[in-house]
Amino acid sequence: MKTLLRQVDSIRCEHNADRVTEVRVEVGPLSGVEPMLLSSAFALLASEQTVAGARLVIDKVPLLAHCEACDKEFEVNGFVFRCPTCRGNVKTISGDEFHLLSVSLSEANAEFRDSLDPSSHNCSDTHETAS
Amino acid sequence: MTGTTKTITIRRDVTAKSKADAAVERARLARRGTLVVNLLSSPGSGKTTLLEATARRFASQHSMAVLVGDLETDRDARRLRPLVPTAQLTTGGACHLELPLVRRGLEALGDPQVDFLFIENVGNLVCPASHDLGEHLRVVLVSTTEGDDKPGKYPKMFRTSHAMIVTKLDLLPHVPFSVAAVTEDASRIQPDLDVMQVDALDGTGIEEWCEYLNEERAKRLAKYE
Repeated sequence: MKTLLRQVDSIRCEHNADRVTEVRVEVGPLSGVEPMLLSSAFALLASEQTVAGARLVIDKVPLLAHCEACDKEFEVNGFVFRCPTCRGNVKTISGDEFHLLSVSLSEANAEFRDSLDPSSHNCSDTHETAS
Repeated sequence: MTGTTKTITIRRDVTAKSKADAAVERARLARRGTLVVNLLSSPGSGKTTLLEATARRFASQHSMAVLVGDLETDRDARRLRPLVPTAQLTTGGACHLELPLVRRGLEALGDPQVDFLFIENVGNLVCPASHDLGEHLRVVLVSTTEGDDKPGKYPKMFRTSHAMIVTKLDLLPHVPFSVAAVTEDASRIQPDLDVMQVDALDGTGIEEWCEYLNEERAKRLAKYE
């Protein structure tokens, strides 16, 4: 979550924007990220002025697999990773993503810009150090 | 507030950096001959007991080191230290290990050049599944006392593992656990899973497990030559 917010803020800085209004991510069932918990963590942690009030949009990615032997693609149900035709193992082709898709930024008017706390708005120390 | 809004398209894996760091560590350790084994399970499944048995078996044949993760205490490290160089990683409440902590543990041991580096993860079948520690082999343990219905409940753990070890085989006559059922449940999620059975206290299955480790070491490290 902190990694995501650091990346978002570093994008805001690259584009010299004042505020983040929307963050769009995609999350798969095998990502280890639970959408509901991600939303509540975002609401709690995104309290800095430049991200405060931003909307988090979560696109859910289906769990898809491909069977090489049968050259067939199918949706994995109940986490059964066997080809429905030959019963062999399959390759996951989508469903383990935790991707940042887009960030919406706003250029505020001068009045809002003046109201920002300079320390939270400062971009000099927000270079991405995600781990 | 009035102002203009623009949307920047990114399409980036949020975890790209930690994945890349793990890949670098995996290659570095492989090139010097170390197979990194990440051991995962519920608390009390027998990870430390398996490592004690492994250390005894490997004593004269292979060099090994252990990094052991827990929320608190160095109890596991104290058990293992008489047998093998061991560093305790204390997460201070975190439910899983991450690569920076593993690196710190390696440094504490003097970055030893060993044949096998075992990472005993925090006992938890959920979060550790999502963290690549630079391992070459991921092994999940299921003890007979936990019940044979566990794989389906924790699909990511079993999907991302290479092998499953059924432990506490000696208790099989006393508990409602079927090795065939747990194997079937796990292989639905990961059909390529290698399955072994051990009783680490009396040594049953330890020879097979150690042979497996040797074969995997040869096979997996060859990819980096």
